[in-house]
Amino acid sequence: MQKIIIRRPFSAADVIVLALILATIYALIAYGRELETPFRTAIDIDLSLYSVPYYTLFSALRGMAAFGISLLFTLIVGYWAAKSVKAERILIPLLDILQSIPVLGFLPGLVLALIALFPRTNIGLELACIIMIFTGQVWNMTFSFYSSLKSVPADFSEVSAIIGFNSWEKLRKVELPFSAMNLVWNGLMSMSGGWFFLSVCEAFTLGDKEYRLPGIGAYMATAIARGNTYAMVAGIVAMTLLIVVMDIVIWRPVLAWAHQFRLEDIPGFTVTEPLMRNLVRESTLLRWLTIMYRRRALHRSLLRKGEMAAERLQPKLDARRFMKTKSRWSPLLIWSVRLLLSGFVVLVMYGTIRLVYTLLHVPIETWMGLLAGASFTFLRVFTCLMLGSIWTVPVGIWIGTSQHRIRLAQPVVQVLASFPAPMLYPLALAALFVLKIPFGLGAMFLMLLGAQWYILFNVLAGAMRIPLELKYATLLMKVPKWELWKRLYIPSVFPALVTGWVTAAGGAWNASIVAEYLLYKGKLLTTHGLGSVISVAASSANFPLLAASLTVMVAVVILLNRTVWARIYHLSQTRYRMDL
Amino acid sequence: MTEPSLIELRSVSKKFQLESGAELKVLEGVNLCLRDGDVVALLGPSGSGKSTCLRIMSGLIEASSGETLRRGSPLQGINPDVALVFQSFALFPWETVFENIALALKPLTMEPDTARQRVKRAIDLVGLEGFEEAYPRELSGGMKQRVGVARALVMERPILFLDEPFSALDVLTADTLRTEIINIFHTGKIPTRSLLIVTHNIQEAIVIAKRVLVMGVNPGHVRDEILNDLPYPRDEQSAAFIRMVSRIHDVMTEAVMPEVAKPEAVVRVPVKESALQILPAVQISEVIGLLESIHGEGGMADIFDLSQKIGKDFGQTLYLVKAAELLDLVDTPKQTVVLTESGRSFVEGDINVRKEMLHNLFSDLRIVQQVGELLKQSETLRLPVEVVEQKVAEWLPNENPKNVVSVLISWGRFSEVFGYNDDAKELYLDVGQETA
Repeated sequence: MQKIIIRRPFSAADVIVLALILATIYALIAYGRELETPFRTAIDIDLSLYSVPYYTLFSALRGMAAFGISLLFTLIVGYWAAKSVKAERILIPLLDILQSIPVLGFLPGLVLALIALFPRTNIGLELACIIMIFTGQVWNMTFSFYSSLKSVPADFSEVSAIIGFNSWEKLRKVELPFSAMNLVWNGLMSMSGGWFFLSVCEAFTLGDKEYRLPGIGAYMATAIARGNTYAMVAGIVAMTLLIVVMDIVIWRPVLAWAHQFRLEDIPGFTVTEPLMRNLVRESTLLRWLTIMYRRRALHRSLLRKGEMAAERLQPKLDARRFMKTKSRWSPLLIWSVRLLLSGFVVLVMYGTIRLVYTLLHVPIETWMGLLAGASFTFLRVFTCLMLGSIWTVPVGIWIGTSQHRIRLAQPVVQVLASFPAPMLYPLALAALFVLKIPFGLGAMFLMLLGAQWYILFNVLAGAMRIPLELKYATLLMKVPKWELWKRLYIPSVFPALVTGWVTAAGGAWNASIVAEYLLYKGKLLTTHGLGSVISVAASSANFPLLAASLTVMVAVVILLNRTVWARIYHLSQTRYRMDL
Repeated sequence: MTEPSLIELRSVSKKFQLESGAELKVLEGVNLCLRDGDVVALLGPSGSGKSTCLRIMSGLIEASSGETLRRGSPLQGINPDVALVFQSFALFPWETVFENIALALKPLTMEPDTARQRVKRAIDLVGLEGFEEAYPRELSGGMKQRVGVARALVMERPILFLDEPFSALDVLTADTLRTEIINIFHTGKIPTRSLLIVTHNIQEAIVIAKRVLVMGVNPGHVRDEILNDLPYPRDEQSAAFIRMVSRIHDVMTEAVMPEVAKPEAVVRVPVKESALQILPAVQISEVIGLLESIHGEGGMADIFDLSQKIGKDFGQTLYLVKAAELLDLVDTPKQTVVLTESGRSFVEGDINVRKEMLHNLFSDLRIVQQVGELLKQSETLRLPVEVVEQKVAEWLPNENPKNVVSVLISWGRFSEVFGYNDDAKELYLDVGQETA
């Protein structure tokens, strides 16, 4: 019988912890029941306040499930691309294309396929929704893991080789710890990327059918469509709460944990003291659980010791181990990987052929129209970046150059940046109506609503890295304020600003799909642009048009990335790099 | 002896592929073997392929040609007999001292208790008690390298490789650690049967090794093998030690400046007219410092004394002297360095005189003239740096063209012979009208 000494009766912290645990259990059970329900395309969304927590929990579960899949995908595909030259040659360009396909591009195929797979229950639709959220999360995580693996210091690899680590040991002991920091930061960004299209993923129209799943995204979409202001506000509050709670309960502890894997102490970088740690310290319940867990872990390690001793009875020659390293991939594994790879290639080729076939049947006038739409959207994206920079650059630098202001602003900016901008569209629209701004221009403002945070976030990070010596030097030289900005601040944040622009541009192109085509208070608001064409094509199930418009968008985005952005990025990395 | 060597290289060569597609030869015809009880130092200036040799013997890289034999049979994959200590320590920052050392035992199947004992013993040997729970970032350089050594020792492998293990440490720390490692090895507390150290420090090589292999450059090769039978512990102040140092100096000088150590070569070919000579990768300011030191000694100094005086190791000093000699600022009869007439006026002149003299002397170098010709052939007197690198690669197939050109740029800028625009990545002839 274990004796647990309870030093304190239940505290306030315990109430919070208990609430979190109960909410999780409730959500899991309720969600399980949801999956079991017979298949319906669209449930009726209840706009009463009472159902908001329930919907929010469902959305949270979907987001986390998608994140789990993203993590798994990242670990497998990122590792594969980094380790196999052949796979790298195919996977990296492929991922680059996939990441520029907006979520609507995956929607029809996924939904139809999965519903056909699970015709009786809601699992199909749920899975489709989760996978759509996944497509908004996964790509930058995979790229980050891949490039981390590629940049493991040569010394570390040599040590692992000399010690005789096999691939698994090297992954666990060297590569994963080395990538952890980047992976966590990218995971954090991915999570907000996944929320962006939550409303689209949970409530969409495909041909003549409407699809809706219980969730805060669908709640918001319904509230906007019906013009129910109270419900809209409730939705925004619930979403904000979800983001803040996830930040406190998941991201801050994980960031603090990942901090131990840093290579060097990064100057000026501080991990905010995780609130969770205080919660653990304060909560009797959690402390008790931790103790229980440690006992289990200890028990398990003792077990393993016994196994090891047994293993030792058949001694293995060290040398044999090393002989193995040459051919540690058994032929079976190699062949199954090859088979998988060729299956993948065949699938991609088949898809490409089908796509080309479909595209060949699109009349030339449609293509012209698409190009015209693309130029409208391009203008919006461009102005959006310019307008966004005008306020975010000075504000980002202003905040980033003071430790005090950073501490105050960072959590706020983080929440603002993770908040799915489309949920704020109704508020923005109301303002646009009052100011009598035409929707063609207004759509640009809607795109700005999401994109600007990427710029602000990056400028802020860039300003934090301005070396103190440079600041002192300019202070001592009594450089006038304007010169200080022109000569020091703006050039030093330039590389970060470029990164911000690239991300913001990607976000803005994506956002054009929801910003240029909007259902608001029962009215349909549209304007010329590539985004609205995609939305129309998806909702009217016009697949050739959808394929053509998506192809144009992917082509434009990749073309811009490879030409304009690559050049500006190169300039920022050579001329404006900070290495003193 | 019939027992095969632990590891042996037979006429091993290594080529690396450069980005430009050209091949760079770093090792040629290297023969080397390690037997039981051997303590060997690979000594040589940078670029002599010492570390490459070591990595080939470890199985980390493969030789381009020649044989690598482990106990008489060809080495395949990683050499399981080798433990390696790195110059950069290569510790995992996310593991504690104990865990870093214990990691080396991970692939071996053994009881946790045995493993713990072994790690403890290694920690004991290198004097890391009390630091078991510390993270590498909390340790000084010397302590970090102790962890590196303990990690190598805990593997209990027959061969221990040390790759410039002390060059990232300050002199005192390096001395202490060096002595401790020699002691550990000689007291037989560890099963290491053979030790090989890569270094560019002559004293270090003599303190540790029973055999010193002096490596030469362009491409890297073993220039000479010197047996060192001084009794341990070796006293750096003893006459025998100093004689050994000076003997190795001679060999190294010969390796870098072949004409110096051969007094019988009466007719010396003037340097500038011999085959394309390139400037060693040294800083102008360092060469000026060297000249000022010689001037301070009355215009004449011994190379060895000079290296002590300017606080550079012998190999680096040789490169500085070589650079000064190429520019006709010094002369080197045998082991002495003498300021030439122009060397004297150079030292005595002010910065403008120096710049002007250097402008003329630098322009006289064959390689500089050839690059100058190349630039004149272009209409604008400027060329992308890659074009120049390609040409240099043709002229000097055994050199890394990137390094050669970057030395040319830094000297050319100072002497106002060449200019270079980093934005355009272009080299241009500095004829006064262009301001950077």
